[in-house]
Amino acid sequence: LGRLYERSQHLIFREIEDLDLIAKARRGDVEAYNVLVSRWEKRVFNYLLRLVSNREDALDVSQETFLKAYQNLRKLDDPARFPAWLFRIAHNEAFSLLRRRKPETELAGEPRPRNIGGRLLPVELSLAVESALKRLSEDQRETVLLKIYQGFKFEEMAEILECPVSTVKSRLYTALELLKTTLAPTVLREES
Amino acid sequence: MSCSHECKPDWNAYLLGELGPADRRRHEECASACPACREELATLRVTLDALATLREEEVPRRIAFVSDKVFEPRWPQRMWQSFLRPSFAAGAVIAAAILVHAFVRPPAAPVPPPADTAAIEARVAAEVGQRMEAQMTAAVNTAVDTAVTRAVAETRKQDDQRTAALLSATERRYADAAEFLDKRVTQIYALNSGAGVR
Repeated sequence: LGRLYERSQHLIFREIEDLDLIAKARRGDVEAYNVLVSRWEKRVFNYLLRLVSNREDALDVSQETFLKAYQNLRKLDDPARFPAWLFRIAHNEAFSLLRRRKPETELAGEPRPRNIGGRLLPVELSLAVESALKRLSEDQRETVLLKIYQGFKFEEMAEILECPVSTVKSRLYTALELLKTTLAPTVLREES
Repeated sequence: MSCSHECKPDWNAYLLGELGPADRRRHEECASACPACREELATLRVTLDALATLREEEVPRRIAFVSDKVFEPRWPQRMWQSFLRPSFAAGAVIAAAILVHAFVRPPAAPVPPPADTAAIEARVAAEVGQRMEAQMTAAVNTAVDTAVTRAVAETRKQDDQRTAALLSATERRYADAAEFLDKRVTQIYALNSGAGVR
């Protein structure tokens, strides 16, 4: 009875978790799904924003992602894997958009970050980072977004991107090497 | 370079927290012994710090879904979930119990066996445990329902507050613009009517 009491206390006083909301949403509770969306929308929106580089597109794709997730929620085998599953949908939607608009958005003409002589303001550094990220290939940029900004593990990234862990690592390391070449000299110069 | 890199350092994995304690220690020893490794580590750290300056942006407007017919499960699913599934489950349990009873029923014994009080106590304890667990599960479900309702209400309240703040800021902006325009019109009128000409 003691064990049962402890378990019940743990269950009653725990936080409402994503798993509860997923279970309710699966039974058709739209309000529970809206709470789930409110927990994840900022992360998904920012991931998509950096991927498609356009606020309106990022918002549209976020909306589409959450709609598809709702419609397919019953197909999610293990609700504990919801984050990776959700980002897999977002990835598919984003790349579908990028494929459609490929010819008109080549980054060849994108200016390199300015060689700033004076001290960098935070906003300037952010702009330099944004510009450096845009110079990466889409595949490389996505690994940086998933690892650095979303904190996914390599295994989860492999699931989202549907490729081996070794490929994920290789893409990320190449991306970090390129970013290091672009960003580190700028930052170190203004520090010295 | 004074480091032979026999330890084959992976500074990306080190900074991204992907190494276990033993590997981390090995990397730290490598960095303390080798200036080239220290420089590599510092450069990479600066890069990751620079990446961290990119702030998350707010979602321009909330993504929400309404309780629409489109999102509701179809009627066969609703029937299955609310009525048929529990009925089938109950029916299956009763059928199984009948079958088990038919097969394992002991032959009629002339003398009833002596009551096994220990077994009865164990059965009663198990029954009590099951009932208590069922009650606790019901209590947990109620608690979860309440908390979800509260979370929905809080989300709505935050939405309302955000909308009110945006509305108020917009009103202020329009009021400022109107005041500015009003002043300009008065000036222009004064100039045209000669009152403003010195």
